[in-house]
Amino acid sequence: MKRNHVVALAVIIALGLIAWAGIANYRKRKEEQAKAKQPVITLTQAASDPSAAAAGDLPPFKNPLANKQAPAFTLRDTHGRKVSLADYKGKAVVLDFWATWCAPCKIEIPWLEKLRDQYASQGLEVLGISEDDLDLDDQKALLKEKKDITDSATRLGINYPVLFDDAKVADPYGGVDALPTTFYVDRNGKVIAATIGLVDRDEIEANIKKALGSGEQAQKGQS
Amino acid sequence: MRAPRIGGFIALALAASLAGAQKLPWQANDAESGQKQFVKYLYPEQVSIAANQDSVVELHFAVNPGLHINSHTPHEKSFIPTQLIVAELPGLSVRQVDFPAGADVALPAFPDEKLSVYTGEFVLRAHIKVQPGEHLIQAQLRYQACDAQACYPPRRAPVAVDVIAK
Repeated sequence: MKRNHVVALAVIIALGLIAWAGIANYRKRKEEQAKAKQPVITLTQAASDPSAAAAGDLPPFKNPLANKQAPAFTLRDTHGRKVSLADYKGKAVVLDFWATWCAPCKIEIPWLEKLRDQYASQGLEVLGISEDDLDLDDQKALLKEKKDITDSATRLGINYPVLFDDAKVADPYGGVDALPTTFYVDRNGKVIAATIGLVDRDEIEANIKKALGSGEQAQKGQS
Repeated sequence: MRAPRIGGFIALALAASLAGAQKLPWQANDAESGQKQFVKYLYPEQVSIAANQDSVVELHFAVNPGLHINSHTPHEKSFIPTQLIVAELPGLSVRQVDFPAGADVALPAFPDEKLSVYTGEFVLRAHIKVQPGEHLIQAQLRYQACDAQACYPPRRAPVAVDVIAK
């Protein structure tokens, strides 16, 4: 009897192990099948040289306003306030052209938020200029579009003014063919750098330091 | 893989466009169509189908290498979906358009956030019914393209298919 019990126990354990192995194998195959059905492709960075042509095959980016005065503008922000570039005279300003449909912009925005906090005491301001379409002929549609931009800015936690470009401000800035496009304006209102597309955080910070520093030196030279 | 989505095309009344002496939606002076295209309509240029019967025309497109466009059903609400804008014509009706499911891709800086996109060649299936005769389907594919670094404003690629129905 005892021998029979041992054999029965061994058979039960063996069957249990077989069942467990079968279930584990089934789960593994299911996971592999699910991965194969939904492949996730990682898009690679096209080029590290910001002046190189992007995959869009546009001509290499050349700052259209290098060492020129930044074109003046007055736009409304998401709170309805009028914001002019002239309001920031004596400060370094980052002008970030972006849109709610632009994924690379959403990578850059958190960096701008942190850098703004870091350098605000030294005289930095960031202005986000939304290039989302605005239907100026349809008030109802316009209100919805502005609300969508405002909601998107809130979701992204943007801590600097976000402006609606209902006056084609992008035109005097070279047309802004791709987003994000960022201009760095020094304390004297001169454009000292510009980048197109997603660039390295360190490059953004270096341009901010340049904008803060170059205008400061120029102002000291004038006084 | 998600099932392909159906529908999602916009029909425009030809008569209304003509009456207003406005530019037709596929004409190239529109801000969205006058710029360099990142998507090209490939084929067919002409199809022969049975008149007065439901037929399917497969429209082939190609996205330029290195670029992607949002699928018809992007994961994020604020992203601009790919749509087909079709002019309505007498004797020809486009009943629906099937869009393929997008492929999930991720940007290197945001590996956890998936975008639903089309890359390379993709095919739309237009369900049409036409009366006997020759008809010209004129349409536009509205899309918004990006590469790994930048996004480009929405554009419209022209589509023209000569349909012979017997």
